[in-house]
Amino acid sequence: MRVPLSWLRDYVDIQQTPEQLAERLTLLGMEVKGIDRWGAAWQKVVVGEILTVADHPRADRLHLTTINIGEGEPLHIVCGASNIAPGQRVPVALPGAVLPGDRRIERTEKMGIASEGMLCSGDELNITSDAEGILILPSDTKLGVQLSDLYGDVVLDVDVKPNRGDALCLMGLAREVAAATGAAIRWPEITIEEAGESVESLLRVDVREPGLCPRFVGRWVGGAKIGPSPDWVQMRLQAAGMRPVSNVVDASNYVMLELGKPTHTFNGAAVQGRTIVVRLAQPGERLETLDHVERQLTPDTLIIADTSGPIGIAGVMGGAHSEITDDTTEIAIESAVFDAVSVRRTGHRYALRSEASLRFEKGQETRLARIGADRVAQLTQAWSGGTIAVGRIDTAPVEPEPTRLTFRPVRVGMLLGAPIATSEQRELLSRVGIETESAPAGSRIQVAVEPRPLVVDAGTDEVLTAIVPTWRRDLSIEADITEEVARIRGYETTPAHLPDTLMPAYRHPPTKARNAMRETLAGAGLTEVVTHALIDPADEAKLEWPDDDGLSMAEPVAGRTINVTNPLSAQHSILRRHLAASLVDVLALNERQGRESVAIFEIGKGYGRSGDLATEWNRLGILLAGDATPHSWTQPARPFDIYDAKGVVELLCRRLGLPEPSYSPDDRGYPFHPGRALTAQARSDKESLGGRIAELHPDVLEKWDLRVQRVIVAELSISGLASGDLDRVRVEPMPRFPEVDRDLAIIVDEARPAAEVAESIGRHGGSLLRRVALFDLYRGAPLAASEKSLAYRLVFGADDRTLTESEIDGAMAQVRAGVEADIGARIRS
Amino acid sequence: MDFETLSADLRSLQDRALKEISAAADPEALEQLQIQYLGKKGELTGVLRGIGALPAEDRPRVGAVANVIGEAVKGALASRVSELHSVVQARRLAAEKVDVTMPGRPIARGTLHPIPETIEAIVSVFGQFGFVVYEGPEVENDLTNFQMLNIAPDHPARDLWDTLYVDIPGHLLRTHTSPGQIRVMETEKPPIRALLPGRCCRYEAVDASHGFEFFQVEGLMVDEGTSLADLKGLLDEFAHALFGPRKTRFRPGYYPFTEPSVAFDVECVVCGGIGCPACSKSGWMTILGAGMVHPVVLQYGGIDPEKYQGFAFGMGVERIANLRHSVPDLRYYLENDLRFLEQFR
Repeated sequence: MRVPLSWLRDYVDIQQTPEQLAERLTLLGMEVKGIDRWGAAWQKVVVGEILTVADHPRADRLHLTTINIGEGEPLHIVCGASNIAPGQRVPVALPGAVLPGDRRIERTEKMGIASEGMLCSGDELNITSDAEGILILPSDTKLGVQLSDLYGDVVLDVDVKPNRGDALCLMGLAREVAAATGAAIRWPEITIEEAGESVESLLRVDVREPGLCPRFVGRWVGGAKIGPSPDWVQMRLQAAGMRPVSNVVDASNYVMLELGKPTHTFNGAAVQGRTIVVRLAQPGERLETLDHVERQLTPDTLIIADTSGPIGIAGVMGGAHSEITDDTTEIAIESAVFDAVSVRRTGHRYALRSEASLRFEKGQETRLARIGADRVAQLTQAWSGGTIAVGRIDTAPVEPEPTRLTFRPVRVGMLLGAPIATSEQRELLSRVGIETESAPAGSRIQVAVEPRPLVVDAGTDEVLTAIVPTWRRDLSIEADITEEVARIRGYETTPAHLPDTLMPAYRHPPTKARNAMRETLAGAGLTEVVTHALIDPADEAKLEWPDDDGLSMAEPVAGRTINVTNPLSAQHSILRRHLAASLVDVLALNERQGRESVAIFEIGKGYGRSGDLATEWNRLGILLAGDATPHSWTQPARPFDIYDAKGVVELLCRRLGLPEPSYSPDDRGYPFHPGRALTAQARSDKESLGGRIAELHPDVLEKWDLRVQRVIVAELSISGLASGDLDRVRVEPMPRFPEVDRDLAIIVDEARPAAEVAESIGRHGGSLLRRVALFDLYRGAPLAASEKSLAYRLVFGADDRTLTESEIDGAMAQVRAGVEADIGARIRS
Repeated sequence: MDFETLSADLRSLQDRALKEISAAADPEALEQLQIQYLGKKGELTGVLRGIGALPAEDRPRVGAVANVIGEAVKGALASRVSELHSVVQARRLAAEKVDVTMPGRPIARGTLHPIPETIEAIVSVFGQFGFVVYEGPEVENDLTNFQMLNIAPDHPARDLWDTLYVDIPGHLLRTHTSPGQIRVMETEKPPIRALLPGRCCRYEAVDASHGFEFFQVEGLMVDEGTSLADLKGLLDEFAHALFGPRKTRFRPGYYPFTEPSVAFDVECVVCGGIGCPACSKSGWMTILGAGMVHPVVLQYGGIDPEKYQGFAFGMGVERIANLRHSVPDLRYYLENDLRFLEQFR
């Protein structure tokens, strides 16, 4: 809410500088987001007096004026407005002046005659809405004064929280200023001079939904003359961020900003049957609202109607047909209380929020319906003439008493962490108009209200009753009183100490294993990324990453895709099931930035729905593209391939205490390279890892417009991602007897997977074989073109003795025979 | 052959040998000299063969001379060997000289993303005070995200959380980590000290300071007598840990699920409290929102508000990371430009 300080001073004295006041309000909970110097946009605009006005010899619409600005020779200024006359005082933009919108004024020539500046309209200064005529200033305005000194103002931008609808107005903020500074509040003087007919003879009000409209106050002003509001009113509205419209509409808006009471003014003559009905809309009813949009009304909309149909959406916006126009003379004033929830729902239903509806949504003080009607009538008459009809229509003239709220001063101190004397609490509350009185011991205390009410017996604690002003609709439980005491006392007085109560029991951080993996991967050269969970359905469709068929995973992919029903854009309209597409997006972005090599990983979630159940699962995604080792003076570049990704996965398995993973080829093709894709699985008692490692199909790269030739992606489910703790290391005793290496070269068919050979070796190695590792791959003479030679190092050992040559020879002989039998391999000697 | 002649021969042999040994240029030449003089068929042995021609009384004298000479030649060989070793080694080392100013062999090291790293930084501070980490679902139900946090379906404060809804009835993408308060209270009994980091989503247009996906860390402490002063004490420690020693303050805030509610400000990390554009000239920066858990929320969590009190706080991870690392634009985080990420070495 924009608060011009000159206007706020009408209701409370302010001794502080704007900065000091802003600080005080902020510390009181009315956060000042900004301090705006109103009028700072006027530079070199001064007050001048029109000495002479003459016709321009060559242009009908233009006039030649001479202007006295209080010093020097009179200025010759050409002016196009028709409302000027000698003797008037007007704003003069001198050569070099700057106006709102960064408009610069220079010495010019208009139809052959020099003009030494410009006379300004209210619109050009953004001070009133009048763009036709020059802004005529009061005749006693001092000549030569800078306009910014005269009308400049400081406007505070106050962020009023949703629970403080009462402070969405100058009066409400004046109360807060008073609470902060101790100054007194001045209510505007509201006096009504009624005459002529009684309002009942001019208007009938029929509220058919008293639940949704608990109070409706109507007044009537007859014989008004529509025109612009006084300049000072327009200036105030402009400074507060509201566009001046006409004297009657401005009166209504002025009262809304002043008292926080939204009202509506109808063209009385357009109200058919001189009857206002407050009812729900009927099916098929339509209304053109003030914004000139034709709206189809739904039957749950509370409307204002006359005998012929809707003339307004209650609390939200009036109808165009009954709008105040230049020839309106009869003004019907509506000052009602509408149900907050109903107004809020209506605003959402029509995507129509107004300054009025924002205030209704936060709840309205019943009393203000009467005060607002009177104030609008008073200002309408003052600014547009006419007669206020006798009396007011009031559907609920009995105004509620202030509510009484019991609280325990000792509890206030307990919540805040330091006792505060009862007398101090009472004094603090009185500063915001909350009077207190002693209540009998054992009174009932409202600890909570709906939706989970709780009332307790105060027991032996001291109890006070707070008499809550009717405008403070936010105070309903004991803790609310605590907050009032705390904020008026100042939160800066809150003591600070560390908790000295019992600690909760130990619990493994769920991020422990995750962090071990992150550190390991970063150490291996991969950079961590965090991408959007919300992605483009096209991305997922484009990639077709398979759901985890046939893989036993710690957290399997479940159900169907979850869609956002109100997405911001199609690019972020579904929850992803896989990380892979997001990683490819990151690659694409970095390629566009000129990056040639990318090695990244992400630990993130996938999401799915099964029936009405949402499931989330954790994944590790890896993407490698470009060079594994960059070209440097020590080595040539080497591109990433799937063995790099496998190396990373094997490293992770070691870090997590998992055995070497088992691999099996996946030749499904798209989105994978059919000859370079696999599933990996590893399992121990506590941990498991499973997923895919694949080079992407060239068509995928094409779809993403990637320059890079090969992209390796892995997506893995790892139990530790969710469960937290790492399996403990259990140390094996170091071998007491030496181990013996033997190498074995095995010639197999090119198509034979190495994993099968290793498995065969393991199967036939006997109890003495401890490890097998592939250390060389050879192709070429003397082998046949269809053959390859795999060289393995076998490590033998025993816990209780040094092995003899013959034992090892025996084991090797078994391995040779076994491998030959299993896969028809030849042993190279 | 007489003793004198033989002795002279031996002496000249010694002179020649020593000369040649000292002139030997490499270990191979020394080896040759060893064979030439001391070997089985060497010169010294050759000279000694003539010993038989001497009178018996001269033989021991010649033997003694020969021994002295033999030892002298051996000694000369040994010392020349070690001399030559240093020469050879020095020559090898000289030949092996490299340009030590060439850059080192590159070792790839990835970087960790600032969002999880900042979460870890936050968690480790509160972890010292007994706070333990929990994680809740990101696809939440309306009940837990709003209603159990005292935000009724038509509560005007719902405007504070523009919500993204999903096609599961009654579900949405959590707009804050606060529903985790309910989830922790449902499973744990006081004393509770919980931290809930995680991803949140809101219907919010993206700009330098807003995103529709962002991360928060929620904190919750519930026990007998837990007060706003405990919260202040903890947050002061937190601010000092993350931003160094600087002034802090509470000011009133508003959340439907806390009463009283506060905002926690830290002296501006840019200007140190003087007032600058980064802090809107106020000298303060808001780090997080907090307050005493509302009695309605405690009850929804199954906790008796007459017996227990608690506080909760929630902070934006990006906000903390921005301030710690001077990140000018929120979009950097989820964009994953490596030129940004690799700065977090």
